[in-house]
Amino acid sequence: MSDIFSFRGAPGTGWSQPSPILEESEVRKSIPDGISRKSLPGWPRASEPEIVRHYTWLSNRNFGIDTGFYPLGSCTMKHNPRLNERIVQLPGIDRIHPLQPESHLQGLLSIFFEMQEMLAECSGMDSVTLQPVAGAQGEFTAIRCIQEYHKSNGEGNRDKVIVPDSAHGTNPASASMCGYDIVEIPSAEGGCLDLDALRAAVGDDTAAMMITNPSTLGLFEVEITEAARIVHEAGGQMYYDGANFNAIIGKTDPGRMGFDAVHYNLHKTFSQPHGGGGPGSGPIGVREHLSRFLPTPVAARKVREPEDPEGVGDGFWYFWEDVGQSSIGKVQQWHGNAGAVVRAWAFYRRYGRELELMSEHAVLNSNYLRHIIMNPDKETAEGIHCMPAEGAETELVMHEFTLSMAPLKELNGVTGKDVAKRLLDYGYMSPTLYFPQIVPECLMIEPTETESKEVLDQFASDLHSVLSEDPETVTSAPHTTIVKRVDEVWAARNLVLRHPGGDFPGQ
Amino acid sequence: MLEAMGMSSMDDLFSNIPVGIRRAEPLPLPDPQSEEEIWADAQRILGSNVSLDDRPSFLSAGLSRNFVPSVVGMLATRGEFLTSYTPYQPEVSQGMLQAMWEFQTMICELVDLPISNVSMYDASTAAAEAITCAVRVNNRKALQKDIVYISSLVPPHRMSVIRNYTIGAGIEIRTIEHDDSGNLLLSSAESATGSCAVYVEQPNSLGIVDIGLTELKSIIGDETSLIVGIDAVSLGVLEPPGKWGADMVVGEGQPFGIGPTFGGPIYGIFACSEKYLRQMPGRVVGQSWDTEGSLAFTLTLSTREQHIRRHRATSNICSNETLIALMGAIHMSLLGPEGLERLALRVAASTEATKRSISRINSVELVNPESSNFREFAIRVPGSASDALLHLDSNGVIGGLDLGMWWEGMSDCILVGVDERTSEDDIAALHDGLRGWIEEVCG
Repeated sequence: MSDIFSFRGAPGTGWSQPSPILEESEVRKSIPDGISRKSLPGWPRASEPEIVRHYTWLSNRNFGIDTGFYPLGSCTMKHNPRLNERIVQLPGIDRIHPLQPESHLQGLLSIFFEMQEMLAECSGMDSVTLQPVAGAQGEFTAIRCIQEYHKSNGEGNRDKVIVPDSAHGTNPASASMCGYDIVEIPSAEGGCLDLDALRAAVGDDTAAMMITNPSTLGLFEVEITEAARIVHEAGGQMYYDGANFNAIIGKTDPGRMGFDAVHYNLHKTFSQPHGGGGPGSGPIGVREHLSRFLPTPVAARKVREPEDPEGVGDGFWYFWEDVGQSSIGKVQQWHGNAGAVVRAWAFYRRYGRELELMSEHAVLNSNYLRHIIMNPDKETAEGIHCMPAEGAETELVMHEFTLSMAPLKELNGVTGKDVAKRLLDYGYMSPTLYFPQIVPECLMIEPTETESKEVLDQFASDLHSVLSEDPETVTSAPHTTIVKRVDEVWAARNLVLRHPGGDFPGQ
Repeated sequence: MLEAMGMSSMDDLFSNIPVGIRRAEPLPLPDPQSEEEIWADAQRILGSNVSLDDRPSFLSAGLSRNFVPSVVGMLATRGEFLTSYTPYQPEVSQGMLQAMWEFQTMICELVDLPISNVSMYDASTAAAEAITCAVRVNNRKALQKDIVYISSLVPPHRMSVIRNYTIGAGIEIRTIEHDDSGNLLLSSAESATGSCAVYVEQPNSLGIVDIGLTELKSIIGDETSLIVGIDAVSLGVLEPPGKWGADMVVGEGQPFGIGPTFGGPIYGIFACSEKYLRQMPGRVVGQSWDTEGSLAFTLTLSTREQHIRRHRATSNICSNETLIALMGAIHMSLLGPEGLERLALRVAASTEATKRSISRINSVELVNPESSNFREFAIRVPGSASDALLHLDSNGVIGGLDLGMWWEGMSDCILVGVDERTSEDDIAALHDGLRGWIEEVCG
């Protein structure tokens, strides 16, 4: 293996830097004696070519959308256009400090303003902040706004947030961090929201309900407006988890469904690359009654006066608007993940007013893939030991769908995890595994709009092959990956969380 | 494809959406654009901004106008890294897992603590979640339950983040004051004994290197966490907080890996001692083996996290800043120990040289003339800081931060921030600009 800490060249191998602008002895005098560092950190001493090879070697041991089909449900792993990477290298964003005066920032402020407006329009909300830097932080921010809203109405005693049992784990975690107790309601048979359970759960202690639509089963919650009515009647607020926003843009929006607040995942819907786990960006939108609680500041504009400097040349002067006394303040120390905002801007500009095509193709791909998986031709069907079950009995799904491997497990012991690991051998990233937890042995599949029919046909065919294979081959998978199944229990028991120094691996 | 499913139009796919909530009218957005049109627009629009590289700049305040070696971005944006998801499938994610395990090691070495996660959103959320973590660990035994003490020089935007993150846990924040030289009042730090945590920054927000902080742990005792916010580059010359009793170290990783990039994406450093391991936020990579006995890496301690523990998770963090942490790891690998030291010496030299130059101007005072500084220092100018900065701006110099934006009573003070790239010409431009301002105000 390549081990970065095995490079122990001469000092100064990997860098060239100018000298300090004062003599070193003089500089040392400016550092108090009692606190100067005695021994330098044990970092590698590697040359640039050694580093290039090390990280290239590592990248070859990693699987991205660029490597192959990535049907990871709820994560919207769509193609990341490379133009967007080029744009964020421009000095007009890369070399900008957020505390520069507005006269230096007209371009960025105009993009922030345009993105606020675009997101508000697509979601049916009145105001948007781009400050939260991840979906979970967006949830947290919106629930904090709702918390302050209730307090301002003298209803700070509302201490419960309702989430369906199919919700993303971040929903209850975010509400809990705000100090709320969580009321989890079971889904109805078929996986949709159970209105009777919701009626039983709401009360004068309800602060909010958090829900995504389409649900994590890929189902459109057809009774969503009634759910909103029930929650509002009890005095609660409706929060829309935007993880599945890719399914509905231009077709409907959370505002029409009755929501008061929503977060957007720019790293899902708007193609900010996931980067191995981040960065993300989780702006939120709210209806007018929540606007004054948003984090501060937001981008605003006015018609340019003749004495104003030129700006971006669209006739407006852009500025930061303080949200005011009721604002919850800051959730990130600057203005959010501006790089993600600019990439998302470049992404949406490609579609413009045709943005709904994105959702149409995502939903088409999802339904088509589900259809061809569940309806193999006769010859293929004969070879299959056991077909998976639908995660939800439904005619139509939205941008993603779930399959249950429970019938396989019952027949020959092959689990959802086994199928997922076997798909790695076929050159795919595995679907999302064991989520939502209400579907036994669940695989959750989201093809996104950027895959072709050919890719979907091949994937269905390969999944059918897995279902036809000798169970032993599947349960012992993967066979062709760089490492075989990794012992997660050993990792958790031994907790080797850093390089131990010296030659590694040891014996 | 529609035909294969027995459908005739795209509308059939959306027939589950009730008619009453369908959007009838098209989105009022601009016409679709081609790649070259978007690129032209981006160049024009972003080109209207003033970049820090266009002129002498002394604006830092927690972000660095750094130099990032060319190889960093080129390697980190290789598609296999850039377009991958969280490495939940270790068999096909060994590259990112190992890179993050190496990152954890480099951070541990930098701050001298045994455990690091794979990044927080930024320095402020890292500080905030360190505080809530400390309360979870210490509250049961604490004499001052649900109480933490924070230096009064922690800047207000960070305090605002901390308040948002601590309000739900019912944490009360008390402040520890500083003396006239900007050093923490150790006598008032004694009142923090028995509380859950103390949070201080070294250097503090005025750039002051406070040697007294090295005594803080012996004052507050073992049962109260000492959380230290750092300037990561400063640890090339300053003793790491792990050596002087810090239980947790947090800070901004941005100087290693990425430009100031309008404040994001950047990444927060989070490191701690073993006591906090099971209550810490964020993802952690551990070493393990595969079924054939080959070395392998995997995410571990996941039972702390939201996707498993849901509302009982130690944090809601899911997406983090892994790719930027990867850029940091590559940058740190290039520097090596001596490169880090050189970088820190360059920043220290810029600080000292700028301070000397400014202190020669009559009518401009150093706010803390006795202090040692790293990267930043505060000056007091005649008139208002905002007017002085406008004057400098009109002379093509970004002069620093108007401290009146942070603290009442400092509206005649500027926070001057330097970096490794500050040149003698830059310093001369600031010097001349300030003299020009003095002439304008004092005649």
